[in-house]
Amino acid sequence: METRQVIETRGVRKTFRDFWRRPVVEAVKDLNLSVARGEVFGLLGPNGSGKSTTLKMLLGLLRPTAGTIRVLDAPPQALQARARIGYLPEISHLHPFLTPRETLRYYASLFGLGRRETERRTEELLEMVDLTQAADRAVGRFSKGMARRVGLAQALMNAPELLILDEPTSGLDPLGARAVKDLVRTLAGAGVTVLMTSHLLADVEDVCDRVAILDCGALCAEGRTDDLLRQPDAVRFEIEGMDDAAAREARSALETRFGRPVRQSYPSLTLERYFLQVVADGRTSDAFRLAPFLLGPQPDPEPSGGAPCATA
Amino acid sequence: MTVRSSSQHSLRRGGRQLLALAGTTVIESIQQPAALLMLLTAVVTTLLVPVFQFHRFGEDGRLARDSGLSCMLIFGMALAVSSAGHAVAGELTRGTAAAVLGKPVARPLFLLAKWVGVLGVVTLFWCAQLAATLLAERISAHFLIRGDTAGYASDPITLLLALTGLAVALFIAAARHAVLRRRFGVSAFLGIPISQGIVVLISGFYNRFGQLYPLYGEAACEGCGSAHTHETAQVWLYHAELNLRVIPAALLLLFVLAVFAALAVALATRLPTGSVLTVCAMTLLLGLAGDALFANAARFSARGLLAGVLPDLQHFWLCDRIARGGSVPGRYVAEAGLYALTCCALFLTAGSVAFRNRDLG
Repeated sequence: METRQVIETRGVRKTFRDFWRRPVVEAVKDLNLSVARGEVFGLLGPNGSGKSTTLKMLLGLLRPTAGTIRVLDAPPQALQARARIGYLPEISHLHPFLTPRETLRYYASLFGLGRRETERRTEELLEMVDLTQAADRAVGRFSKGMARRVGLAQALMNAPELLILDEPTSGLDPLGARAVKDLVRTLAGAGVTVLMTSHLLADVEDVCDRVAILDCGALCAEGRTDDLLRQPDAVRFEIEGMDDAAAREARSALETRFGRPVRQSYPSLTLERYFLQVVADGRTSDAFRLAPFLLGPQPDPEPSGGAPCATA
Repeated sequence: MTVRSSSQHSLRRGGRQLLALAGTTVIESIQQPAALLMLLTAVVTTLLVPVFQFHRFGEDGRLARDSGLSCMLIFGMALAVSSAGHAVAGELTRGTAAAVLGKPVARPLFLLAKWVGVLGVVTLFWCAQLAATLLAERISAHFLIRGDTAGYASDPITLLLALTGLAVALFIAAARHAVLRRRFGVSAFLGIPISQGIVVLISGFYNRFGQLYPLYGEAACEGCGSAHTHETAQVWLYHAELNLRVIPAALLLLFVLAVFAALAVALATRLPTGSVLTVCAMTLLLGLAGDALFANAARFSARGLLAGVLPDLQHFWLCDRIARGGSVPGRYVAEAGLYALTCCALFLTAGSVAFRNRDLG
């Protein structure tokens, strides 16, 4: 029986060694993490804090020096678990001479998908990341943002239950970044568990249910985003349609009532939202339209099938 | 029943993964400019050897043949090593391997597929080089008696056709790239063996003086022993004026290249391409000199160990036998193939062990 936890690490350490097996750096120290099914979990930290190392250990690409890791109720080296994971590396690592269409077919083959299913998913994903027009150009000539879109599409090829995104918005313009964040929320709504890292704290704040902060390989803080960011000893009221005179009056009344100074400010947009209002005004097509096969169980016409689909 | 269907599914998935990884390895390897350069250099050098050889002593054909087979071995090994380095060490460095191995791909299968891909590249090279070697032997000067004159006659028409074939292959690749946006490197690398193969076929319809043979003639009636009174069949005549005994000898060299591909793939899991090339070159030298270096070596000594570990490449170099007018029996080729396959399996197993716990950053 599958547990509610999709990712579980206990006392995980990773020490990188040189050619002579001498320890060079301890990248991860005694890491204990749990990510529940359907959560969007953010891993934050400065450069060299051990975020990418942690992700690679979860994928079985790096072996922990100590501790245990369970991903989808299996050790990370288990192929049946990896068949249910989608992974977007920090740099997209694509074969430069292949086109996006060939790249997606290639990754579909790695998941053992049949030909018809491969074609269907390839076309749907190309449409989703808005690369249909560029589907037959070599990926090596793509901008970083376009390569990122191909990387994102390949990560979704198997309709993963667990999506691991390493810096997913890196290299994307604000519109692309917004689209990725919306996509993450949509996927989470469809029951996909998402684990992502980012340097961009606003991105994590926008989409993550829970976050963990790593520094020098150690876990410094972990919890629900709202709980971590809440300032429990202060309260803010927002009242719409109040003019300056009324605001001054209300402030004075509150100061008199509680005997403490009250700060008065006007709510402002974030720069991202303002940018999107100005630049993306009317450009709704920039949002990724989720590929239909990601939305629910699909009839698999070929017995070879593939990885299980996420359920809505 | 469920177990059986699950294992069938795993097998099918493994097959698809193998084909996908090997196919991508072939495309990525032959798209490298260095691969095309090596192929062109080997083929052109082989074709031009008969033109630029000055010491004849009646062995022009042998010189051309030996040069062709030497180019096959040396350039083939360099191609195998550079392709393996690009496909394994390069992908490990660039992170492409990590992206692939983050999918449900077993590491031993990844290595096997890389070897199959490199072997595919080497086989394409081998086909082109075999055709060039056969043509070079035909192009080289032969002592002929024609009417009341005798002397050496070379075959400039075949040389011209072979070089034209190369140019046409490159032109078609360029045109496909310009018009259809197809990959130039892939088209050129595939086009060169095809063009040389076509020239090999065409060369059977004319002699070295440029005279065309009749396309149809009477079939030779062997063993009849009497004057013909019965009707003889008209057959299509093809004059293969090529030394076809080279083919099994070249096949042995393909086995050597397969062994080097396996060795290079195994080494590339831990070493950069330069180091892989050095180790393979040393193995080639020691393997060729093995007879002299390790003769009478005690079994339990360093020399004995080396003699056991290194593939004995002298078994695969039978040019002298062909020069003496002999041929390579099919049974010998089969046994050599089995020996090479064993070496490949050993190297790939060692590579898998080395790769099993390698951290992929």
